[in-house]
Amino acid sequence: MEALNAFSVSLQAVWNDSGFSAFTAGNGIMILVGLLLLYMAFVKEFEPLLLGPIAFGCILANFPNTGFFGEEMNVMKAINFGITNEIFPPLIFLGIGAMTDFSPLLARPSTLLLGAAAQIGVFVALGGAMLVGFDVHEAAAIGIIGGADGPTSIYLSTKLAPHLLGAIAVAAYSYMSLVPLIQPPIMKLMTTQAEREIVMKELRPVTKFERVVFPIVATIFISLLLPPIAALLGCLMLGNLFRESGVTDRLSDTAQNSLINIVTIFLGTGTGMTMSAEGFLRADTLLIIALGLVAFMGGTAGGLVFGKIMCKVTGGAINPLIGSAGVSAVPMAARVSQLVGMKSKPGNYLLMHAMGPNVAGVIGTAVAAGTMLAMLK
Amino acid sequence: MGHSPVTTNPLIIMMINMTVVFIVLVVLMYLIKLIHIIDPTKVKETPEQPADDEDLPLVPVKSSEAAESPPPVEEGIPPEIIAAISAAVTAYGFAGQVKAVRILNHEGTPWRASARFNTLARK
Repeated sequence: MEALNAFSVSLQAVWNDSGFSAFTAGNGIMILVGLLLLYMAFVKEFEPLLLGPIAFGCILANFPNTGFFGEEMNVMKAINFGITNEIFPPLIFLGIGAMTDFSPLLARPSTLLLGAAAQIGVFVALGGAMLVGFDVHEAAAIGIIGGADGPTSIYLSTKLAPHLLGAIAVAAYSYMSLVPLIQPPIMKLMTTQAEREIVMKELRPVTKFERVVFPIVATIFISLLLPPIAALLGCLMLGNLFRESGVTDRLSDTAQNSLINIVTIFLGTGTGMTMSAEGFLRADTLLIIALGLVAFMGGTAGGLVFGKIMCKVTGGAINPLIGSAGVSAVPMAARVSQLVGMKSKPGNYLLMHAMGPNVAGVIGTAVAAGTMLAMLK
Repeated sequence: MGHSPVTTNPLIIMMINMTVVFIVLVVLMYLIKLIHIIDPTKVKETPEQPADDEDLPLVPVKSSEAAESPPPVEEGIPPEIIAAISAAVTAYGFAGQVKAVRILNHEGTPWRASARFNTLARK
C-alpha cells in the first residue's frame, strides 16, 4: 500500500512538473502557428534560413515549465541575451557587408536617392500605427518593417518596443519573402509600359580604391552623425572592407559564411522564443502584420515615384522600376525589378542597376532607424 | 520606455526623418563622387590598352596555326545559350568581351579543369 502511495505521489509530481499540467489553449494555438511557419519556411521556402529557426523557436517558447527564462543561465537565456542586448543584428550586418557589392551604387551614386525615397513606407506605417492606438515608440518599431530589413527591424524593436519583437520580426521576414508577390502589381500599376521598357546605360567600372575607401568614409560620416546606429553601420562596412581589401579573404569568408550562419540560427531561434502565447496572441499582432504590409507597399510606391521623377529629370535615362528596389530586401527586390523589366522588354537587364538602390535601401533603413532612436529615446 | 520623445506628432516625425535620411544619403552621394574624383588609380585603367597594343611587335600568324585554333563557339552549343551567356556577361559590364564559348572538361580530367580555372582566375 505504501509503495502504491509513493508511486501515486511520484506520478503526481511528474505530472505537476510536466508541461501538460500548465499547457493552455494559447500555447496550443502558438504551436500551431509555429508549425504553420515551419511549413512556410521548409515547404514553401519563404525565407527558410530565418523563418525556420523563428518557427521552431516559437514552438519551443510555448512549452510550459521549461525554465528557459528563469533565474539560472541556460542556452536559451544566453540566446535571448544576444537579442535583447543588440548583439546579433550587428553581427548579421557584418556578414551582409561581406556579401554586398557596393560597385553598382558607386558607379551610379544618384541611386542613393531611391534608397532614401523608399523609406517613406516606414513613416506611413508609423503614422498608421499611431492612428490605431500604438504609442510613438511602438509605432516607430512597427514602421521600420517598411524598410524590409530584418536585422534593423529587430535592432529597433529591442530598443523601442521589446514586447512587440516577435510580431515585428515575423511580419518583417514574412513580407521580405513575399517581395516577389507584393511588389510586381504595384510596379505595374505605377509605371507605364514605355517607362518599363527603358534600357539603362551600362555602369562605369569601379576601381578597387573606390570600393575600399567608400566603407571607411561612410562609417566615419554616418557614425559621427548618428551614433545609435554606429554598431549596425560599422559592422556592415567592416564586413564589406573584409571583402574589398583583397588581403582578408579568410575573414571575409568567415563573415559571409560561418559567422552569419551561426548568428542566423541564434537570431532566428531567439526571435521565435519571444513568441509566447501571452505576448503574441493579441489583436495588436494582427494590426502589426497589417501595418507591416502597408509599410512595405508604401516603401515600394515611394521608390517608384522617385524613380519616375529621376526618369523625367534625366530625360529617360533611369528606368523607374529600379526605384522599388529601394526597400532593402537584398537582393530579392533587385531581382523583382529585373524580372518585371524583362517581362516588359526581353533582354532588358536591370539587375545591376537595381542593386544600387537596393544596397542604398539598407543604408537608408539604418539611417531612418538611427534618426528615430535619436528622436525617441 | 522611460524616455521623453522630442515629439509624438507622426507628421513631424516623418518630415524630420525623411529630411535627415535624404540629407545623409545626398551627402553620401557627394562623398562617393569625391572619392571618384580623388581616385589616383582611375587614370591608369582606361587608355593603357591601345598604347600597349601599339607597342607590341607585329608577329605574323601562320595560316596552319590559325587553321588549328579552335572555333570561338564549340560544336553542340545552341545559339540560344550563346545569346544568354553574352547577354549576362554584357549585363555585368563586360560588353563585347566574350571571345570563345567552350564546354569545360567534357573530355578532360578534373585536374585539367582545375588548372584551367586557376589560370583564368589569375587573369
